Amino acid sequence: MTDIRLYNKLEKLIFPIILIIIWYIICDVLMLIPSYMFPGPVEVVNSFIKLLVTGKLFKDIIDTLYKVLLGLFLAAVVGITFGIILGWSKRLERLCTLIISILRPIPPIAWIPFSILWFGIGTAPAVFIIFMGCVFPILVSTIDGVHRTRGVLIEAAQSFGASNMQMLTEVVLPATVPYIVSGLKVGIGIALMCTISGEMIGSSSGIGYMILTSTSLFDTGSTVVGMLVIGIIGIIFDYIFTKIQERIFW
Amino acid sequence: MTFEIENVSKTFISKGRGETIKALEDINLTIETGKFVCFVGPSGCGKTTLLRLMEGFELPDEGTIKDDGELVTKPSRERGFIFQDYSLFPWLNVLDNVTFGLNIAGRPEEENKERAYKYLDAVGLRDFATKYPHELSGGMKQRVAIIRSIINESKSLLMDEPFSALDVQTKHKLEEQLVNNWRQNDRTVIFVTHDVEEAVFLSDEIVVFSRRPGRIKKVFKNELPRPRNRGDHVFQDFVNEVTEEIDESEDD
Repeated sequence: MTDIRLYNKLEKLIFPIILIIIWYIICDVLMLIPSYMFPGPVEVVNSFIKLLVTGKLFKDIIDTLYKVLLGLFLAAVVGITFGIILGWSKRLERLCTLIISILRPIPPIAWIPFSILWFGIGTAPAVFIIFMGCVFPILVSTIDGVHRTRGVLIEAAQSFGASNMQMLTEVVLPATVPYIVSGLKVGIGIALMCTISGEMIGSSSGIGYMILTSTSLFDTGSTVVGMLVIGIIGIIFDYIFTKIQERIFW
Repeated sequence: MTFEIENVSKTFISKGRGETIKALEDINLTIETGKFVCFVGPSGCGKTTLLRLMEGFELPDEGTIKDDGELVTKPSRERGFIFQDYSLFPWLNVLDNVTFGLNIAGRPEEENKERAYKYLDAVGLRDFATKYPHELSGGMKQRVAIIRSIINESKSLLMDEPFSALDVQTKHKLEEQLVNNWRQNDRTVIFVTHDVEEAVFLSDEIVVFSRRPGRIKKVFKNELPRPRNRGDHVFQDFVNEVTEEIDESEDD
């Protein structure tokens, strides 16, 4: 049993390892591609060690994570609050639905010019872009969750004399939690993408900034390190949210 | 007098084809305080609709429903309601489900817990206090749902086919527990069921509904002495009598 499980886990590694070997042969053995166009695995490892030793990588990861989590947090506060209210009040939802449907499809990156105009360069514009990217998926899935709250639970609470406010906090909000979590899961993926784009344009720190600046210095090894780091952060967040979803049993 | 129902009619518009369905027509009924009353009738006869109107989940199109002289306009904690399907809050454990009504009424939480344990003890569910609804059997869930309502000591209890999904043994056990609890209080119970035997076992009065549009066809007084025995001849005779009355309305 454990052997099969172990095998299944190792099986996932087969293709990546083959890919790295091919990559190694093309770039480092045969030297078919010059390293200023694309680095070989050896150079990537060297860059990784260099970035690790100088502490730059750690600093950039923290910087990026800080923006992602701050943006996501603000989007969650706004998205969940308004989601519950709009989901509950048919009238308010009708009033807001057109605005939401127009703003929602705008790619968060389209907000970059304004974010720089309003917030300058640094953490704030990136956080703003992340916020714009995450708030709609969270809002929409919260509204959806409120709509799907089973009528019998609402009626049960009414028969216990629940006030409107108690209905929202004690029944509708907990019933909506699974939808909120899946909204957050979608949101964090978008947040990561937004952060990198935001950092490339309106920022002077973080992984996105590192990716962009190292390429212009022909340090393509660091560029690939940055890209892989983003991928790994993405996997970790996905794993965390999947675990949270497994723990929600209603 | 608890409930006074006068000239109540209710029409629904079906979502699919926009047809109107007359669920209830000209219902007049008085239910005295402390009585155990069962609504029986063929499916779609409006018995559940009337129960929902009595709680105030919906309003009648015509006529009035009064509870202790007051017009019913919305649900109230004075009228406990027990649903056919499981209405426990899935994110709360048994204890928190049971204390829900007391807690939102602002009663002290420690006392509520103590009280909840007393009720859970009575139906042998104390050991399940920290379990969640999805960890319970159907019978346990419905027991918790009933405790969750009766713990609030509402003046009346409206029950919508609460035992219909349970196996016969569990059902009979819960019916007995329900009757015992009711006999210790002067609470009015309105109980909707399509099971005539259940109605005869539980009730003081049996209200027979006719098929759509729902009208009250006959009200039986059930004066069989308690505790009742399903095996008795008089019990079975009464069941047959009520069943015939329902069957007639099936034929219309």
